[in-house]
Amino acid sequence: MNKNLSDLFFLVRRNIKMYFKDKSVFLISLITPAILLVLFVTFLKSVYTNLLINFIPQGAEVSSRLTDGFVAGWLVSSILATSCVTIAFCSNTIIISDKSSGAVNDILVAPVKRTVLSFSYLVSNLIVTLMVSLACLGLGFVYMAIVGWYLSLEDVTMILLNALLLTVFGSSFATLIEHFISSMGVGTALTTLVSSMYGFVCGAYMPISQFAEGIQNVLKFLPGTYGTIVFRYYFTRGAVEQLGAVLPTEAMPELKSNFDTEIDFFGSRVSNGTCFAIVGAASLLLLTAFFLVVLVNEKKEKSLRSKTK
Amino acid sequence: MEKEERNILEVKHLEKHYGSVKAVDDISFRVKEGELFAFLGLNGAGKSTTINIVAGITPKDKGTVLIDGVSIDENSAETKSKIGIVFQNTCLDKQLSVRDNLTLKAALYGIKGKEFEERLRELSDLLDLNDLLDKTLGKLSGGQRRRIDIARALLHKPKILILDEPTTGLDPQTRIMVWSCLDKLRAARKVTVFLTTHYMEEAANADFVVILDSGHIVADDLPNNLKNKYAHDFLKIYDKSESLIRILKEEKMTFEETDDFVRVELKNVEAGKDFLLKHPDLFKDFELLKGTMDEVFLNVTGKELKGGSENE
Repeated sequence: MNKNLSDLFFLVRRNIKMYFKDKSVFLISLITPAILLVLFVTFLKSVYTNLLINFIPQGAEVSSRLTDGFVAGWLVSSILATSCVTIAFCSNTIIISDKSSGAVNDILVAPVKRTVLSFSYLVSNLIVTLMVSLACLGLGFVYMAIVGWYLSLEDVTMILLNALLLTVFGSSFATLIEHFISSMGVGTALTTLVSSMYGFVCGAYMPISQFAEGIQNVLKFLPGTYGTIVFRYYFTRGAVEQLGAVLPTEAMPELKSNFDTEIDFFGSRVSNGTCFAIVGAASLLLLTAFFLVVLVNEKKEKSLRSKTK
Repeated sequence: MEKEERNILEVKHLEKHYGSVKAVDDISFRVKEGELFAFLGLNGAGKSTTINIVAGITPKDKGTVLIDGVSIDENSAETKSKIGIVFQNTCLDKQLSVRDNLTLKAALYGIKGKEFEERLRELSDLLDLNDLLDKTLGKLSGGQRRRIDIARALLHKPKILILDEPTTGLDPQTRIMVWSCLDKLRAARKVTVFLTTHYMEEAANADFVVILDSGHIVADDLPNNLKNKYAHDFLKIYDKSESLIRILKEEKMTFEETDDFVRVELKNVEAGKDFLLKHPDLFKDFELLKGTMDEVFLNVTGKELKGGSENE
């Protein structure tokens, strides 16, 4: 195996082991999904169930399994939409702790390229975030199977694809930002801020449609919003189709809008394909920015060496 | 010990500035193959900065560093393979087991599989690690961690072992244990040891000492030569008598009286010998003592070293 690839493999393996061995980092990264779960159990479930029931005309027969299945899909989509980003930020604190503990020096005294070390943080973060998010998704699927399963194979595939894309977005964003931080204090402040704020700004804690219009407009410029919308759509599509048979046709657009299963951008409906493209383009942009930062740093170091020869 | 004269490390006109602070200011020295080389200085003297430059962690501003004849600027991968470093504070992963730590670090030098297992067995025997390998690093004592640090530094059979204040913060018993490990290692492998320390007794045992102060080399020589140049030998006479004091005054010698003995400062050992031969009746119980590295350091830098803290 090529030396750089071998180094990357061993460093990624080390970073992943460190994440799962460090219980505090592991638990902190699960704070946002845990908050969502607590909010859901305590009051969100009844709030959204009541909101949904309000759409159902009097006398219409809708099974509680269908309403529970819809609300469960909404909850799991919220957890996924946040965890793909917040876990990426929390699990990547190794990039900061390695600098503050001096571990990075112990790695760099070996014949390892700094760029390989930097990429190892990105790759391990991607893997860890995906592993934890997929574990959350697995638990979510089990919960949905118990209370009401309305997902098709296509829905599951698109959910997995979106989870992958949003994880790439979250990991590249987290690695780019945390690359510049060397103090654990700043790192902890950042992860706490992201963990508590991201749920709001991506519309996970409450639907974007419930925010004031100005805030809604701002949120429409954030790529993470479109990842949430895609999750909402595919997690609830099956249940929405069944509700369509009972609900008046004119109520459906309002239902979809109120529950964020679709979004419009200043009057035009944004398709799921466009949502995917927005998250994909944002991820690509962040990845490119990270590669550039790493390469520029390496170039700077090389030029410093040649200058002082 | 017979030593080869080949330079394993050469540093020429090295400079490193942090803003307006000159951490290392135009220093040059060389380390011969197989020797125990000591860098002596207070905290902030520039010892760790120099080591980090040599190890390729910190970029230098000016100067040349050659490791086994190869510049760190020309082929850093090759020069890094020739260095093993033990940092002042352990930089290994405390959450991982000793084996996991060593497996990763060996892999970064291309040592894997059977080759690694063989290497691990050798080091475990040398440093007595067999019972520690499957333990979590963070749960080990300071002395045990130091042994793991040394094992990590030796994984790739480096030509120079750099130790950055390896015994700072350790209790006296653990310090003795660390030095016994290093002595065993030097005897078995004849590895060159580059040590930074602020413990005088550690520097006194070195083959060559460089004293660093505020980024400058203020003295460098064999420990004995440094003592001859910068410290006085002493005669400690336990038979205190009026005639002794009278003679010391007559001969205008510098001395100090305590309850138990008289401490006479000598220009050199020859002067002590002459004094003893001239007044044989005065001496029944005495000691001839060499000057200490503490005195050398005090005379060279004007600063006193007490456990690494500065006293001017």
